Amino acid sequence: MTKLTRRSFTTLAGAAMVPLFAPAVIGQAKPRVIVIGGGPGGGTVARYVNRDTKGAVHVTLVEPNKTFSTCFFSNLYVGGYRDLKSITHNYEKVAKEGVNVVHDTVSAIDRDKKLVHLGGSVRAPYDRLVVAPGIDLKWDSVPGYSEKASETMPHAWKAGPQTELLVNKLNALNDGATIVMVAPPNPYRCPPGPYERVSMFAHVLKTKGHTRSKIVVIDPKPTFSKQALFQEGWEKHYPGVIEWQDPKMHGGLKGIDASTGEVKTDLANYKADLANIIPAQMAGKIARDANLVDASGWCPIDPENMKSKVDPNIFVVGDACIPGDMPKSAFSANSQAKVAAMIIGGELGNARTFPARYSNTCWSLIETDDNVKVGGTYEPGEGKLKAVNTFISQKGEGEDLRKTNYKESQDWYASIVSDVFG
Amino acid sequence: MTRGTSIVVTHRLLILPVLAFATPALAAPDIELGRYLARECMTCHRSATATSTIPNIFGMAAATMTDVVKAYRDKKLSNDVMQGVAGRLKDDEIEALAAYFEQTRQP
Repeated sequence: MTKLTRRSFTTLAGAAMVPLFAPAVIGQAKPRVIVIGGGPGGGTVARYVNRDTKGAVHVTLVEPNKTFSTCFFSNLYVGGYRDLKSITHNYEKVAKEGVNVVHDTVSAIDRDKKLVHLGGSVRAPYDRLVVAPGIDLKWDSVPGYSEKASETMPHAWKAGPQTELLVNKLNALNDGATIVMVAPPNPYRCPPGPYERVSMFAHVLKTKGHTRSKIVVIDPKPTFSKQALFQEGWEKHYPGVIEWQDPKMHGGLKGIDASTGEVKTDLANYKADLANIIPAQMAGKIARDANLVDASGWCPIDPENMKSKVDPNIFVVGDACIPGDMPKSAFSANSQAKVAAMIIGGELGNARTFPARYSNTCWSLIETDDNVKVGGTYEPGEGKLKAVNTFISQKGEGEDLRKTNYKESQDWYASIVSDVFG
Repeated sequence: MTRGTSIVVTHRLLILPVLAFATPALAAPDIELGRYLARECMTCHRSATATSTIPNIFGMAAATMTDVVKAYRDKKLSNDVMQGVAGRLKDDEIEALAAYFEQTRQP
């Protein structure tokens, strides 16, 4: 394995973004920040540290893919309101701002030596590391499910080819089809997401004039996010189409069979024309391999600064962390990232720091122009990110308000992706 | 913000210069604090345009923003997200935020 110095890492891994005359000599080198993962958490940290420190800190963003399709708003692609291109972004602007964007995979983190191992035998040193790998799926949480099975029964809980597969299968359905969704147990990415997706399924069926099709949701949870709002909306827009089953109703998920399309519960066996299986989730592999997770499978953090509770040189932001009251969402990741960036700027760039504060809002589309939202503000308290105040849309709200919510969600999307990707 | 809301705020602004003369001199707003607090705003307002539902707040007069944010904090303007964000801002934080946005034309 080739051992690279700080200088050679800069030169080899980031030659395109770093001036060749950069004085990256050991001893005089700028402090190094490496960010693993270019989603809403990682992308935001990289950009804000880079801007805050005005070049005084060398920031490297390691992301395997050259483009990033956002899981948030991917349900609007499922519903036909957006295309995949509109939710797919690249890192060109991030690189132009001076972030050293490296499209590679981190194979290991050496916490003792403060090094990350990249594919291609490159070892890169860091002063602070930000781990933002998002989620991995627990395939075996649904008996019979696997990565291979997801090629016929998509999860589509990481946006991109899986979402395309789901959309293609949805659009190919005939009237009278049965769609079965297996929803995930808590905690998971985007709590209202499965139910917005179900709404989008129903919207597509309605648009196609399919009156005999049905959607069955097998849920391991007795309740779910925005439940009253979704169920009111389903009754209003898609009466009789969506059957949500809690554990008392279905009696437990026995398993799936990808070869036959069957989803089996204690209550019944369903022959699904489209099965959307969303398994249990955990922090991304690199976080688990680096022993940043606890028994829950997620990374505990210090709510004052988003530092890992097991390593003060590492920050964990986004879906991989377990932040207390704050849900796993792009908005949360972006908010957590700004706190991490502020702390890093203070530690490495002598910038002024302030008390951490966080916020989140999640919008969900039930039917065209019928959008509901839930959100809150959060601050450190009781050893976690504690909700300061929360809000949720109300049942029976007027159509104008719901339509405004939808427009607001569109504006939010444009802003947050600009915040993350430039 | 709705059209109706804008009108209310505009009328309210008419009395602000008078109040300014009547108020003892205060410490200058903490721009650096405002810059930090503004990060929370960027998530929704960064790409705002003149026609978007989420308004463009870059370059907004500090007095206007102070008035609007306090109105959200006091729940005199309706929007759950804004009421939540404004709800935990102290007066000096609102002034810092307003001063930052007044002098910032681009994110």
